[in-house]
Amino acid sequence: MVNSDGQLFTIEGIAAGLIMLLTAYIVVSTTSMYTPGDTHISDMQLEQLGSDALRMMNTPNSTAESGQSMLQNIIKNKETERFRETFLTFCNSTTAGSYDNLQLSADLYYRTGTNTVNKYHLTHSRNLTGGEHAVRVTEWVHLNDCNNLCGVGLRPGVQTVLVEVLLWRD
Amino acid sequence: MARLNDDAQWIVLMGFIVSFSLFFLAIVVNQSTVVGQTTAEGVLEFPKNDIRSVREEVIACSDADMDKVLKDMASIAMDRKNAVVSFRITQAPQGLPFNKTFEIHYNNGVTAYNETATY
Repeated sequence: MVNSDGQLFTIEGIAAGLIMLLTAYIVVSTTSMYTPGDTHISDMQLEQLGSDALRMMNTPNSTAESGQSMLQNIIKNKETERFRETFLTFCNSTTAGSYDNLQLSADLYYRTGTNTVNKYHLTHSRNLTGGEHAVRVTEWVHLNDCNNLCGVGLRPGVQTVLVEVLLWRD
Repeated sequence: MARLNDDAQWIVLMGFIVSFSLFFLAIVVNQSTVVGQTTAEGVLEFPKNDIRSVREEVIACSDADMDKVLKDMASIAMDRKNAVVSFRITQAPQGLPFNKTFEIHYNNGVTAYNETATY
């Protein structure tokens, strides 16, 4: 005859088994602990901020066809100091209180007459150590002529160059 | 053998219920950091600003500069962004309500963008 005594022991056994399984699961899963920094949310925001800053700098003040943007003028005249100051002001401004602490390292990429792509280092606010968690933002800039940058290897005449900024929070 | 005493089992049961609900709440808290990850990675991977920048530059350049600008953008985009960029500006035939047609192509292996714009 089936005896239904001791059912409580069975339930207890099952409960104990479940608890052990859950404990094992928790122990195993704690080795891959996610922190908010791993989830790239701040990278996304930083990239958007940097892109917006570059876009603002590359928007001409006037709608006239000859209207040049600040970024175009900065590059043409090789005003690297002005680039750094403007970009950092745009990025580090907060609605109230102290400035944010973003740093940049900017390069200019151009195509030479021999069809190779070369780099000209524009400016940086900190030296890159390799440990930064930087994001890259870029902007195409249209130049009518190489002007002050002819000396560094840009071809004369109309061309498009790429401004590439590494941006990180220090 | 002592008799099995099953009095006050509901206390044990309540204990189980409370601890299990705490456990599931802890899982919810634990997952909350991961929630934004897929979104953020999706946004980072999608080259929105690249495409907009290419578009802006193409529309700004005139017919005369097209070849040089195309060569510049194609080689720099390939070199720095691993993206294929190509575009063509053609004069529209007479009698159409627009002057020029822009065909813009962008492909970085994950995202492809093709546009034909007229103005």
